Amino acid sequence: MSEYKEFLEERDKIDFLIQKGYRISAVREHLNGATVEFFHPNKNLTETLHFGTANARKYFSSILAKQNQASI
Amino acid sequence: MADLRINLAGIKSPNPFWLASAPPTNSGYQVQRAFEAGWGGAVWKTLGDPILNVSSRFAAISFAGNRVAGFNNIELITDRPLDVNLKEIYETKKRFPNHAIIASLMVEPKQEKWHELVKRVEDVGVDGLELNFGCPHGMAERGMGSASGQVPALVEQQTYWVKEVAQTPVIVKLTPNITDITATAEAATNGGADAISLINTINSLMGVDLDTWNTIPHVAGKGAHGGYCGPAVKPIALNMVAECARHPRINVPISGIGGISNWQDAVEFILMGATGVQVCTAAMHHGFRIVEDMIEGLSNYLDSKGIAAVTGIIGKSVSKYSDWGNLDLNYNIVARINTDVCINCNKCHIACEDTSHQCIDMLTDPSGKSYLKVREEDCVGCNLCSIVCPVDGAIDMTEVPNELPPMTWNERQAILNMTATCKADVTK
Repeated sequence: MSEYKEFLEERDKIDFLIQKGYRISAVREHLNGATVEFFHPNKNLTETLHFGTANARKYFSSILAKQNQASI
Repeated sequence: MADLRINLAGIKSPNPFWLASAPPTNSGYQVQRAFEAGWGGAVWKTLGDPILNVSSRFAAISFAGNRVAGFNNIELITDRPLDVNLKEIYETKKRFPNHAIIASLMVEPKQEKWHELVKRVEDVGVDGLELNFGCPHGMAERGMGSASGQVPALVEQQTYWVKEVAQTPVIVKLTPNITDITATAEAATNGGADAISLINTINSLMGVDLDTWNTIPHVAGKGAHGGYCGPAVKPIALNMVAECARHPRINVPISGIGGISNWQDAVEFILMGATGVQVCTAAMHHGFRIVEDMIEGLSNYLDSKGIAAVTGIIGKSVSKYSDWGNLDLNYNIVARINTDVCINCNKCHIACEDTSHQCIDMLTDPSGKSYLKVREEDCVGCNLCSIVCPVDGAIDMTEVPNELPPMTWNERQAILNMTATCKADVTK
């Protein structure tokens, strides 16, 4: 019923990877939400996560915006 | 008292309240009575080739105890001889020189027909012309009214023909029976229109009698679609006015029409870009004297805001009206129930539970008293609970802080597109 807990779990996964130095490298949106690829530039590692909640999609978009601004 | 005078494309009037072209402006007797009551202007009921009307003509929808929430008619343009109308316009203008008299006109899409009518009407001293490209019934079946108004090329061509001979400002009245009102509004301006007015009535069938199975209204057992107006159409009209007001290539004044019933409605139209407003159904429902409340209300409103003239608020809300793609995705409001005001009717709970996001809980306090509480983390701020709540002040929609910066859908998509195209850069 509630999407909030689901969102919190998805947000934690995003935060976890960002805090470890990953950056969002690709986003594919589809009927089931979004598949987001995270890339660690130093370790050359890639993680792929799926997000189903709308709030998570807003959240990673904001992270992405911040990431893009920082790289300009 | 604030200055209520307006100047719409050169047509001056003592206040922004005009009677729209319709049954209330059918004769000199009516228009003079309207001016005595305080109306600032009147658009004389459409002049054209003599026609015949049917009986009956009007119907209305009453909703939840409110009479005439919506109104519908199958009346055509004036059925009185042009000479009679012109004589009465002349007499009325002579008696009320400072009030605006605009002649609504409709003829076949032929240059010589428009030229003849424009010249004859202007000879009696009207302040302006309004071309009726909106009437949806009867005349449209003969290629006039909305039949012309739905074809941008015809709107432009006929406006141009009128402007070839017109000495007074030309207002083009638009039909809402079209997908994109700005297409015909732009065509009107391309044809040289000095202003546009909108909306005319909307195609409608008011109802069916459950006993006789006749349409409502019916004429000897048969019906036809009519023009819908009244309070129910206001949101549709306001949107169309706003769409024209914010359109970069439609730079002419707007006369707002559609369900305007009080001074608050008028202020909304003016804030959304109208220089003045036209009223019909409210006058048909309550009589000409409703304009007294409109004038007083508008004046008090302006005074309370410290605004010296009604012209000071024209279009002030236009920049606030945009596209969905420009709205902030991260703006967040939630419902908060004031338990001291709530009467525990549970309508909000039912509405939320059945048709929205299931975030209003029915709880019981230690004393055994039941109360309702919103789980704010699950509330999406849809407003439904506050809409269905029957008690003012029982539910507040409250903005809640958000750590995320503002971001629109358009900005988001641009960022995602950039990420897709710059994938290689991220890996560096």
